[in-house]
Amino acid sequence: MKRSGRFSAAATILAAVGLPFATLGLWSLADRWFFPGLLPQSWGLRAWSYILTSAGGQVVNALWQSVAVAAVTAAAAVLVALPAARALGLYEFRGKDPLSVLLTLPIIVPPLSVAMGLHLWFIRMGLAETFIGVVAVHLTFCLPYAVFVLWGVFANYNPDFESQARSLGASRPAVWLRVMLPMIMPGIVVAGLFAFLLSWSQYLSTLIIGGGRLITLPVLLFALMGSGDRPVAAAVSLVFVMPAFVALLFSARHLGGRSLAGVR
Amino acid sequence: MGSLVLKDLAIHYDRQVVVEDFNLAIGEGEMAALLGPSGAGKTTILKAVAGLLAPTRGDILIDGRAVNTLPPEKRDVVMVFQKPLLFPFMNVAQNIAFGLKMRGDGSERRRTAVSRILELTRLEGLGGRKVHALSGGQQQRVALARALVLEPAVLLMDEPLSNLDANLRQEMRELILSIQSELKITTLFVTHDQSEALMMAQRLALLLGGRLRQAGTPQDLFHRPADPEVARFFGGGNFFKGRLQGGVFECALGRLPVSAASGNGHVRTATIRPEDIQLTLDAAGRPGGLAGRVVRTRFEGTATRAWIECDVHEVMVLTAAGELTLGQEVRLHFPPEKIRVFPEDKASE
Ligand SMILES: Nc1ncnc2c1ncn2[C@@H]1O[C@H](COP(=O)(O)OP(=O)(O)O)[C@@H](O)[C@H]1O
Ligand SMILES: [Mg+2]
Repeated sequence: MKRSGRFSAAATILAAVGLPFATLGLWSLADRWFFPGLLPQSWGLRAWSYILTSAGGQVVNALWQSVAVAAVTAAAAVLVALPAARALGLYEFRGKDPLSVLLTLPIIVPPLSVAMGLHLWFIRMGLAETFIGVVAVHLTFCLPYAVFVLWGVFANYNPDFESQARSLGASRPAVWLRVMLPMIMPGIVVAGLFAFLLSWSQYLSTLIIGGGRLITLPVLLFALMGSGDRPVAAAVSLVFVMPAFVALLFSARHLGGRSLAGVR
Repeated sequence: MGSLVLKDLAIHYDRQVVVEDFNLAIGEGEMAALLGPSGAGKTTILKAVAGLLAPTRGDILIDGRAVNTLPPEKRDVVMVFQKPLLFPFMNVAQNIAFGLKMRGDGSERRRTAVSRILELTRLEGLGGRKVHALSGGQQQRVALARALVLEPAVLLMDEPLSNLDANLRQEMRELILSIQSELKITTLFVTHDQSEALMMAQRLALLLGGRLRQAGTPQDLFHRPADPEVARFFGGGNFFKGRLQGGVFECALGRLPVSAASGNGHVRTATIRPEDIQLTLDAAGRPGGLAGRVVRTRFEGTATRAWIECDVHEVMVLTAAGELTLGQEVRLHFPPEKIRVFPEDKASE
């Protein structure tokens, strides 16, 4: 009973997660797939050979561009969010409530409006069509997410651990490095992952601020989709999902949050 | 190893005064207790001594040297918090070695020190355990070991027994006492439990509302409380106002002979501990004493607490004398040497 229950739960999750990927997989391997066929009428590796050979350079470049933007954005988001979240989680101060509302603004305002609004400014500051400009516009919504995740972590964090460490002879930097950091590592991983994936999936803001100079994977994907070649778009989509999937697998053991349950 | 002196200490949180005019001296190798109800400011004082909190005024001297300006890691003081606060990402041995590592001790030295302290705190064989896999008592002992291994000049413990159940508490108490007498580390521990303080401490300081009310030996505070509040904290009862004249205390209960020094007729307060009153059943016929009626009883195991109505006044008695029934006629005898007359009552002058 219990076993079959677990089995059906696993099957449901797998089906829900797997089905869209399966469709993408089928499309990427299709040579011809016309309505109303349930499966492609003929198969082939044309799409894959196209993106790996003739368009290969483009795809690999876009892949690296995406990884670089997302990684730098995630690192910056976590670095900036850390002190802010610590203050929000541990201390009471005036203006805390208005500040938290302000933090949600970039999340509820569409990225399109944010990017449009910032574009002019970025042109004036020489940030338009630059790597830093794209990272900066991604940060406008990645940073609030990172702050919210880490805020939750610090709300459950007992600063007495740090006092205890100092009384045991640890200097302030040693406390940060050897007590606080390991203690909140799961939260940092989750916040970083959120920021990474959010940046990874940005299209409009990248296009507007990057001005077509910065070709990330989503930008390339849209261009290929526009060409109407379904199998190629499917193959690029799969390439697009892969790194995110790997990042998720890599950090899965941190997502349970069990290492946070210290002896308080 | 280290003497600790606190001089005119005052501590504020923001605007709120938490501790004021606090003075305490603890000799080398002494075991001292800071006793007080919850919220009295005990933890606050420990944190100030540990350097985790800056006092507003006053001096903290260790071995005669003021340490006020030293950061916590530079003071030869370690504080053990009320909760074990074991680092969850380290095992037991790593937790215990934390302070040694911060101090820069080599791995070989750390290993020998940790294994010695594991033995001392009866944690042999648990060095490799994850801290989650320990019982509450074991966690508390790891927290103690983590501090002891540093052999600080002064050890501070915040309610070391309060998280343990009754049996473990006794075990831990004996362990702390035996380790303390072996290592002779000057120790200041905090408790809200008067019996715990009386049992464990060589010196005792009672803190009420952020102010030191009385310091001395456990016997001093128990038998010679400075004022009615101190007496009440140690389970005292029966406070009577009256005038002391020629070895007799005249109060609402009548004229009670006392052994206190001569008085001058000013209003004073006297007390007698419930267990010091001798209760006889009326039929037993011992002459003298005060006649009264039992109005309430509470069985406490080794003794019974009874409230006796004498005229209109209630007297609380703790007696081993058989079973009392409500309404029963009894007689109360007040041994003169057990009646404590407090110094002059300034408030009522
Ligand atoms: N961080 C703080 N900020 C403001 N007030 C505090 C803080 N910590 C403790 N207090 C107040 O100081 C008083 C003493 O607290 P504490 O030293 O913890 O008492 P105890 O340890 O004797 O129970 C209490 O009234 C408490 O509310
Ligand atoms: Mg306390």
